[in-house]
Amino acid sequence: MHKMPQIITIQVNGEPFTLPGGSSVSDLLAGIGPEEKTVATVVNDNIVRPENRPAASLEEGDRVEILIFAGGG
Amino acid sequence: MDLLHLGSYTLSSRLILGTGKFSSASVMLEAVKASGAELVTVALRRFNREQPGDDLFTPLTSIPGITLMPNTSGASTAAEAVHAARIARELSGSPFIKVEIHPNPQHLMPDPIETYEASKILAKEGFLVMPYIPADPVLAKRLEEAGCVSVMPLGSAIGSGQGLATAEMLRIIIRESNIPVIVDAGLRSPSEAALAMEMGCDAVLVNSAVAVAGNPPDMAEAFAEAVAAGRKAFRAGIMEKSGLAAATSPLTSFLGSEA
Repeated sequence: MHKMPQIITIQVNGEPFTLPGGSSVSDLLAGIGPEEKTVATVVNDNIVRPENRPAASLEEGDRVEILIFAGGG
Repeated sequence: MDLLHLGSYTLSSRLILGTGKFSSASVMLEAVKASGAELVTVALRRFNREQPGDDLFTPLTSIPGITLMPNTSGASTAAEAVHAARIARELSGSPFIKVEIHPNPQHLMPDPIETYEASKILAKEGFLVMPYIPADPVLAKRLEEAGCVSVMPLGSAIGSGQGLATAEMLRIIIRESNIPVIVDAGLRSPSEAALAMEMGCDAVLVNSAVAVAGNPPDMAEAFAEAVAAGRKAFRAGIMEKSGLAAATSPLTSFLGSEA
């Protein structure tokens, strides 16, 4: 009998998002598309620096913000 | 060399450009290059996979000599602004932060109390804090004492094009300030930027006037020239006004006169 991979639901920029359990912040970015160095990542209000993203495991219910620099005055 | 000192940074351009409201990223980039600005403002926003072109990090940081000054727009409290500033610093690698806290979208007037609180905290954390403020000399002085590297009083409401409506308050701020005073917001045309510089402002920050111009790169260049001219005039020493005429030509020994 195969063990089904566990799926977790998190919030990404305020929207529900599902991904395999054990995924890291880097895995999330790779799936969504932005280049690592052009975004800031925040998990549950804590900044996750680029060097810490591969090891930052996401848990059910985590709130992730992926932020960019856009036009502004 | 007439340089603008902001913390440990020295800039030769006294024009700071905002990057919002341009018709496209490519027009904005052309305007930034034409302006000669060394400091440009950006906003922190959520990544949207449907609009990957919104991301200005790579195009802006690939222009030589550009330093980013993220702003905290969208924050309506000091706590939100401090949080945004910390995130922005991670991404920008720049110590500059424009503290911008305006709770009311109708007038976009900066909240002086929250701005002061956020600026005080961020200055202690080593940011080069550039607060966007009402043209209030007392607040400007308090922010200087709190460790800001400049104050950025508004000329008039953001995007209003009403020019230097606060001119008399700006004059007091300039006279009293020991840190650079940068007029931020409300300028409509290069002549207003020149006037701000002639009054003794140290720099101006312009966005809408360039972004919504018919030809933004040309307008950026026009602002750069006006800022340079205004600065030069200020340093050269502008003549005093007088209620009486003072002849520039001799009034005697006219052709055929008796005297």
